[in-house]
Amino acid sequence: MDSASHFTTGQAAGARHAERGGALGVTVHVVLLLLVLGQLVYLASRYRVRVDITSDKLWSLTDSTRSLLGNLDERLLVEAYFSEKDKLPVNVRNTRAVLDNFLDEMVQLGKGKVVVERFDPNSDKAVADKCGRVGIQPADMRSTSSSSVSLDRHWQGLRFVYGGGKQKVLGLVAPASSYQAEATITPAIKEVVTTSKRKFGYMEWPAQQVGQSAAGVGWNTVRTFDQVAKRYELQNFKDEDGALLPDDLQTLFLFRPKDLTDRQKYVFDQFLMRGGTLVVFADAAEYAIGPRRAFTKMPMAIDAPNSKVRFADQLANYGIEWRQKVVADLAGEADMPRDRFNAPFEYFAAPELNFLGQQQLAWKQYPYFFHAVAGDWSNAADQLARDTKGLVDAGKAARYRELFGTGMPSDEFLFQSFRKIGRGPGFYWPTWVGLRQKGGAEDLPAGVTGRVLLRSSPLTLVEDPPQNLDPIGNGDPRARQEHYQKFLASFGERISAQTREQAPLMVDVRGKLPSFFAGVERPKRPSEIKEEEAKKKAEEAKEQGADKPGEEKPGAETVAPIGPEPAKTDADAVAAAPPEAAQLDEPTAAGRIVMVGDSDFLRDDFVKGDYRQAGGPWSSLGPLFFAQMLDWLAEDKDLIALQSRVPVDRTITLVKEQQPGGDVRVAEQALQQKTRLVRVINWLVPPMLLALFGLVVFAVRRGHKRRFLASVS
Amino acid sequence: MRETMVIFRRELRSYFLSPIAYVFGLLFLAIVLFAASSMALVHGSQASMQSFFGMLPWVLLLFLPGLTMRLWAEERKSGTLELLMTFPVQISGLVIGKFAATLCFLAFLMVLTLGLPVTLDYYGSVDWPPVIAAYVASLLFTGSFVAVGMFWSSTTRDQIVAMLLSVVSLLVLFVLGYPTLLEAMAGWMPAVVVDVLNGVSPYKYFESIGRGVLDTRDVVYFACFCGFFLYANALVLQARRHKG
Repeated sequence: MDSASHFTTGQAAGARHAERGGALGVTVHVVLLLLVLGQLVYLASRYRVRVDITSDKLWSLTDSTRSLLGNLDERLLVEAYFSEKDKLPVNVRNTRAVLDNFLDEMVQLGKGKVVVERFDPNSDKAVADKCGRVGIQPADMRSTSSSSVSLDRHWQGLRFVYGGGKQKVLGLVAPASSYQAEATITPAIKEVVTTSKRKFGYMEWPAQQVGQSAAGVGWNTVRTFDQVAKRYELQNFKDEDGALLPDDLQTLFLFRPKDLTDRQKYVFDQFLMRGGTLVVFADAAEYAIGPRRAFTKMPMAIDAPNSKVRFADQLANYGIEWRQKVVADLAGEADMPRDRFNAPFEYFAAPELNFLGQQQLAWKQYPYFFHAVAGDWSNAADQLARDTKGLVDAGKAARYRELFGTGMPSDEFLFQSFRKIGRGPGFYWPTWVGLRQKGGAEDLPAGVTGRVLLRSSPLTLVEDPPQNLDPIGNGDPRARQEHYQKFLASFGERISAQTREQAPLMVDVRGKLPSFFAGVERPKRPSEIKEEEAKKKAEEAKEQGADKPGEEKPGAETVAPIGPEPAKTDADAVAAAPPEAAQLDEPTAAGRIVMVGDSDFLRDDFVKGDYRQAGGPWSSLGPLFFAQMLDWLAEDKDLIALQSRVPVDRTITLVKEQQPGGDVRVAEQALQQKTRLVRVINWLVPPMLLALFGLVVFAVRRGHKRRFLASVS
Repeated sequence: MRETMVIFRRELRSYFLSPIAYVFGLLFLAIVLFAASSMALVHGSQASMQSFFGMLPWVLLLFLPGLTMRLWAEERKSGTLELLMTFPVQISGLVIGKFAATLCFLAFLMVLTLGLPVTLDYYGSVDWPPVIAAYVASLLFTGSFVAVGMFWSSTTRDQIVAMLLSVVSLLVLFVLGYPTLLEAMAGWMPAVVVDVLNGVSPYKYFESIGRGVLDTRDVVYFACFCGFFLYANALVLQARRHKG
């Protein structure tokens, strides 16, 4: 080997060595970089900062949870009965991640007062037995791996123990998001850390239903609604003897008051004078729904036959004007069901053939069933001011713009979630409930303030409750259709005769309410009346006895009668009862009346959806409204804040809803055409813009090239 | 920096002058918008961009390697890479310039899809912050795909090979985070390995930002992911420059 070849070989070897060294260096480089970056990602996931940018803050804990956990007096032990995460089916595993995350946040927010202990019931039989005792429920779910399918028992329950005593168990929780976790867990914590349930009183006058039991239809369903019963205690204070309400009662609900005696009205008055809150769900008439969904009006009197004062006058005395008239709303937005396609029976639906020839329930306009619309009706002023020729009356439109407003004018937190879905709960044959007026202006008593909380649309018809409420009647489909057309047409005729106004449907009046019974002798209790009558009879008997000497001599020895002791008379009972509190002619504290012009929307049969199969009505939002109303009245903003976190209604409306009585097929065709058009525009316009841009670029470029070639040549 | 800007401008101009980029853009927009508008624009449904962002990674997975395959492989094939290497530009400048230009072109295409949320907002009511966040997430996601594609393009002269390598590696990386696959893997793999694989996949980070939560963890992940592949890309080019 010569020196040159030796050099070449040495150079090649050096190069190979350098290459090997370089490759090694690169590898080390890459590995080190991977380690550093991996560590960086790990640290970033440990010490992360997250910002929830959704407008509804759906991924953030509310202040209510923060304040609840930050203000614990005693230790809150959270026992998490979780089976192994890796064995959970895929669709549940994310819920575990959400729960783990939520529990971690709870511990952080609890500042040492929240302790989380985890148990795996699958690995310890004693723990599994304990689960059975405390109410943690297992779930048998199918798990799949690459080679097998198995049915496994999984656990994901929580038990909260506060201060070593009070406890609450969530048997199985599977929240898909932190928002859902919060909506489930925070109320449970609230329940366990709260010492006692807030008490509400109520009185109800159930309706006698056609073909129903003697018990009638009441409002028990909303009172036993989960969200209500777990947090509040509702006690019946309907007393035949008209006893005054206890001092510790702050709120009293009246569900469709009727046959009210003067004594009952006095009880309400004195309750308000002591600073109580009276919530009235009122109806001017009683409506029944028969077995074949026949709507009928039944006789109903608000005041008892021997009553000297009217309940409506009593309300007027406090600043509420209750017109015992039924309100119908003809605006399309007002009586459109929340989910027209999947739940057309919220208000009124009837079987109809769809464009495929299948029979299905279809929503039909029935103006007595509607909701308050959150939108601003002043925007529809021009439309409402059109005459029969379609011309806009400018003066009228300007007046309407001033006069009309939103159907949900209140920003109170009771309405927050409803505002988000753009509407209030559905009302069924509601009545006009507004603020007392004089000369077209509000006329409230001194020291009293009032607000209208819900209103109908300006296309409102206010009239005496009609006898005929059935929009369809009985007969063959054609006859029913004709009947319905006539029914709707009659509305049009009647409404044209009325001035446009938004009917108030819910009011809130508060302040030092003047007593309705001031300076008037208080109405006596039935037992007192009986006692007086008994005394009167006794005196009469005495007088008659005095006329017959020798029958009973004074000072003679009294001999106990033989046999059982005679029953106590009402007079004896009254004599034994504690004396009644003195009549208050002046309020001692600020009272409050919240009045809703409907009670049917909370009625058992409406809430339970008894008529869904037949086409409605079904008050889907009634229970939610009632539950939130309790939180609102209890001023429990924390829970309202949780409940109001419902996503905003973002429903796509490609075509306006079909006009009542319009052809369904035409409407379907219009919808299909619009859908196709919108889709095609969205699909083709951007690529076409890109193509156009490309053509312009190429044209310009070609122009440059030509000019360049021309200049060169 | 100036040199990087020069490279960026040159690359970006080449995209807007290249018929292939337009074909890519047209196909990308036509497919993604056809499917998304069919699913999202439904009367009575909620105005949401979920269908668009749900399919975007899959469409990018199929089309993006077609765009990135030429980034280095074409330079090598046409012999311009050697010329590029003689320029007084740092390798990192070259890589970043090309990367930024590709991302910019893709961002331009994304902008052209904004008509869909605007339409949804017109007929419904779009929650804009999460939509904007999802666009940002898509851009980060796209950036990580571009980085991977560029890396494979730098390793081979053949564009088809670069594209296939990109498709396969991106598919594997993306699918690794899929819950169904994770469950299947959990049956025969240690939990730690499954967790690591899940942590490597861009899927979960994209999903997190897409739902409307900006998390430093997700941003750091995407930055690290892009950084790693761009660095690897620079190393490959550096090695090639040294090799001559």
